Amino acid sequence: MSSPTTDTRGGSAPGDLEPEDYPRKVLFVAGAGRSGTSTLSGLMQLMGLHVPQPEVTPDESNPKGFGEPAWVVEHHDRLLKDAGVQVSDARPDAWFETGRVSTREPERIRTAEWLDGHFAVNHELVVKDPRLSWFLGLWRVAAIRDGAVPVFATMLRPPSEVVGSKQKYYANRLGSAHLAASWLNMLLHTERATRESVADGGRVFVRYGDLLDDWVKVVMQLGEQLELQNVLHAKSEQIRDGHRFVDPGLRRVTQSLADLQLPPKLHDLTGQTWDELNKLADPGGDTADAHATLDQLREAYVDLYAEAEAISRSSVVAAEQRVKRELKGGRAATPAVAEESRDLADRIPHGLRAAIPPGVRRSVRKALGRER
Amino acid sequence: MTVPASGAGLQNLEGHTDYDIVWPWTRPEGLRPGTTAVLRVKNEAPSLPWVLPPLLRACDEVLLVDNGSTDGTPEVAAETVARSGHADKFRQTVYPFDVARAGAEHLAQHELSVHSLSYFYNWCFAQVSTRYSYKWDGDMVLTTEGEVSIADFGWQVGDVPSILRVPRHGLYLADDRHGYLDLGLRNAEEWGFPIGPDFVFTKAFEWEIRTTPVGVRSIGLPQGLCVELKYLDGDEFAHWTDPASFATSFRNKRKRREWEVFNALKDGVVPAGVHDIVAPEGTHIVDFVTREWLPRAPRPLSVG
Repeated sequence: MSSPTTDTRGGSAPGDLEPEDYPRKVLFVAGAGRSGTSTLSGLMQLMGLHVPQPEVTPDESNPKGFGEPAWVVEHHDRLLKDAGVQVSDARPDAWFETGRVSTREPERIRTAEWLDGHFAVNHELVVKDPRLSWFLGLWRVAAIRDGAVPVFATMLRPPSEVVGSKQKYYANRLGSAHLAASWLNMLLHTERATRESVADGGRVFVRYGDLLDDWVKVVMQLGEQLELQNVLHAKSEQIRDGHRFVDPGLRRVTQSLADLQLPPKLHDLTGQTWDELNKLADPGGDTADAHATLDQLREAYVDLYAEAEAISRSSVVAAEQRVKRELKGGRAATPAVAEESRDLADRIPHGLRAAIPPGVRRSVRKALGRER
Repeated sequence: MTVPASGAGLQNLEGHTDYDIVWPWTRPEGLRPGTTAVLRVKNEAPSLPWVLPPLLRACDEVLLVDNGSTDGTPEVAAETVARSGHADKFRQTVYPFDVARAGAEHLAQHELSVHSLSYFYNWCFAQVSTRYSYKWDGDMVLTTEGEVSIADFGWQVGDVPSILRVPRHGLYLADDRHGYLDLGLRNAEEWGFPIGPDFVFTKAFEWEIRTTPVGVRSIGLPQGLCVELKYLDGDEFAHWTDPASFATSFRNKRKRREWEVFNALKDGVVPAGVHDIVAPEGTHIVDFVTREWLPRAPRPLSVG
């Protein structure tokens, strides 16, 4: 019997192709929220890629729009709820939970069917949502099933600015340590999730600062690297629209890592991770050596989190016992009690709530009449 | 008896000290993060060019243990790995003892004998240095979706004690472009396990079984992500004592289905649930089924 044939998938479409003949491709814009993902998604849309409609409507936190398909946001919210994972979740094990949900055939079917429908509008799509990183594998499978090539762009913004921006715009009452840990968990695993697979057409890392400083250069490099035909053949008016869209003043929050006053180990790990991720955004920087270093940092973060969990175990047990006492007390879903229970839950630090097993959390929420 | 996993390892009854087992979690360096696919093979040379490349891309390491091949299996494995560009992820070694065939021979063998399937598997998995492992057969080929799913699970599982179940479907090969894909049986076996004292091999009635702690989690991948190559011109049942060994028990449902399909196809009959597939000119049937036909087949896949 002969040997396997060589995989010859990929390759640029000739420049004279009509848009309806472009190869099916979907750009997934990943990264932490408040990292410039909306700016990149919006630029891709202006260059001619299609953001599946309808989109999330702009608000004060993002007046120029999110570039997010509303269905994707709802889909991810439902899946996160099912997995018992928060959008900003610092637990390394949370990746197992979202991965588990992503193996379910009905979810794979639902995701692939939704994506497939939008290729009728445009053969190059862009999908972005701050929750996207949790489900990159699910979307890669959807692309495979639809005969499309997935490509990935991860936005990089200094963690000090991301944390500051989240605290400013999301009125987040969580501490900076939790937010920094969540950033680490998301970025270290997003990098791992987007490493080349046999199905992929490549990935890029984009610094938010670079995008605001010279979006033309960044977007052209991205278009060439990921072979996005709409970018490669963008017309003059689309480029003018890009200049009208990008506002260098978007980078409104600036502070240093030291300003966050993180615990020393977390501070060091955050700083080292940012340095290493930055290398990926340099030309030729996405190397096996860089991956090996990031593997070590990811393992160090897993160890740090396990250590923190072990140290705070008594707090988790106490929180569980308090909730169980509340349940045994028969308090349930009258509005007044529900509100009181919400206060009770809110008094439990997020990190501890996240450490309570999902099954227990679901029971508690059900008993308290809370839908999340 | 159940294999004791609490000590440093196992000594075989025959006194072959070179093949005593040292549990990998007791080694001073400990286990590193990642996944290892362990292939225990005998005469799988024709299949390895399709089996190894997806595994090498999806796992951190692939360990091949040859058990008495006479068809050049180690050489084909080495050549395939060299072509794949992933030689840094590959190791191969040899287990030199005759191992009992599934069924009656296995049942008669003590599990601490070097000839026992259980001992053989424990020895193989004792060579693993990562925290997670896949028991993989030398004829199992991942589809594109299967490959990316296994690759994702490998880093997502972390230290969560979880088993992974992978459905597989027989692909009976007539020639380089023609095959029969059996979607007539719904079957998902456990292939992925953490490495640790709770997950060792012990004896079951027809073959070995891996122990699991109470409350272990289990994830099943969807149908249509892995095929098992069968050669219509080969002896597909050589590792069984005799067909009577799988004639009656519910546990052997899959093996009985294989026997029925194999013999029907040899007689020129395509059983219900079996798809007759011809690859396009210039494309091998295994590539076509795993990269095109199955990934693009309408979902939910009709199986069983």
